[in-house]
Amino acid sequence: MSATSLADLQALEERYVLRTYRRAAVEFVRGDGAVLWDADGKEYLDFLAGLSVCSVGHCHPAVVEAVREQAGRLMHVSNLFYTEPMVRLAERLSASSLGGRVFLANSGTEANECAIKVARKHAHRRGVEAPEIVSFERDFHGRTYGALAATPALAANGALGPMLAGFRSVPLNDVDALRAAVGGNTAAVLIEPIQGEAGVYPVSEEALLAARRACDETGALLIFDEIQTGLGRTGSLWAYEQTPVRPDVLTTAKALGSGLPIGACVTTPGAGEVLEPGDHGSTFGGGPVASAAALAVLDLVDDPALLRRVRELGAGLCDALLELEGVREVRGRGLMVGVGLTDGIDAPTVGADLLERGLVVNAPEPGSLRLLPPLTVDGDQIDRAVASIGEALLSYAPK
Amino acid sequence: MSSPNLPPKEQPPASVADAARRLATIVDAAERAAASVIDEAEREAQQKVEEARARADRIVAARLRELADQLDSSVEPERRGPPRLRPVDGTGDDDGMAPRRAGSAGARLLATQMAVSGARREEIEARLRSGFEIEDTDEILDAILGPRE
Repeated sequence: MSATSLADLQALEERYVLRTYRRAAVEFVRGDGAVLWDADGKEYLDFLAGLSVCSVGHCHPAVVEAVREQAGRLMHVSNLFYTEPMVRLAERLSASSLGGRVFLANSGTEANECAIKVARKHAHRRGVEAPEIVSFERDFHGRTYGALAATPALAANGALGPMLAGFRSVPLNDVDALRAAVGGNTAAVLIEPIQGEAGVYPVSEEALLAARRACDETGALLIFDEIQTGLGRTGSLWAYEQTPVRPDVLTTAKALGSGLPIGACVTTPGAGEVLEPGDHGSTFGGGPVASAAALAVLDLVDDPALLRRVRELGAGLCDALLELEGVREVRGRGLMVGVGLTDGIDAPTVGADLLERGLVVNAPEPGSLRLLPPLTVDGDQIDRAVASIGEALLSYAPK
Repeated sequence: MSSPNLPPKEQPPASVADAARRLATIVDAAERAAASVIDEAEREAQQKVEEARARADRIVAARLRELADQLDSSVEPERRGPPRLRPVDGTGDDDGMAPRRAGSAGARLLATQMAVSGARREEIEARLRSGFEIEDTDEILDAILGPRE
């Protein structure tokens, strides 16, 4: 039971919290695996996992123990000194992906800021004076100004201008537009292999291959924003492992800390050499507690058996969703699933209904639900979620 | 001749029962100890098997990543060398990107990367067929995973 009522929390928020979010009227007080409890003791199945953060489930004992142990020993010293968890995490991230150097940050958007700096400096070394970053329309790379500029939908908000120069976008999967946009001034193509915030829209293999080839021809870097797709979400440790290309730079965050703020920019051996002391930094980045949590998470998700299970559960979930009345299409890979609803069904309304029914999802666009359950979810929980979605959609399907 | 100091030929029945109970207790304790030793040995053996399996998985993954790196660099050597700048007009002779060409570098890289990520042979086959229209996937997969048993 919470000490403060929901109504009081809402009043305090209204008085003291900047209005950057519209929150659902639920106060969660406890989590375990794929289950959340609100202040009244009501149980919810969490198929959002804190926006793909709690991929190993809420309060996984191994992560809790790693955090508890490290917090009791050493919490912070700054990056002016060594701490073992930071270095071990960099080693682990590099060895599991691109093999080069790693910068540890505090969030996804910061990881992308580092990637943008790597790309710009890499381009300057090639003699490019005004480097450009190319991304896909509806990509989401973050809310700090560099990442924001690479997020076309948000960058269009003139009230936040002027935006950082040197960014352009092309329609998703438009190979011709992509090839036309990438030229001698291109520093990088920065893309999400599966667009998450847009509603779970995968980049086609043709577009990925075109991006790779265009980068190779111009000397630009291919950057994959794997902040949502990485760490097992799609059924492989990194989503690029299920595509026919390898990026030069990869960014990760969200699930990395299982709730603690941490992000990382991982490079290939070549790309990682451009940054030098003074080019970038972070007071908290790679802190021992967050790094210890991330190492515990990697122990759990870098497991072929778990990844196989994610692929199998994801396939079963998609098949079951496609059977439901009101579902037009299902997109995604593994346990990153976008549910396209029949025209006329308002996804936010369905999402609110599902919350009432005890299922947490979100509606990233008017016609889609997004499902991001913990990777540790079980078959029974998936069946219950599908049943809830089916029942809710029956209420909203056009007659 | 009688010898009154000799022990009786038979113990009283109560003592026999006591001895049998003690013996049973001793045997039972010994069996429990033996079972515990066996359990412990089995746990240790299982742990060693799991550790060995994990080590083997890591070695295989590392080797596959090396292969992916080699494939990457052999397919597009210009990526590692000096960058080649050119205007992109979309009408060059590079339209033969042919991502769906059988045996293309992209297909081999996809197969290698999926193998690294622990995908089963059947899963990789399915992706090669759907994504690259490769019917006979054995040549690619045998080179990566070894011949089908």
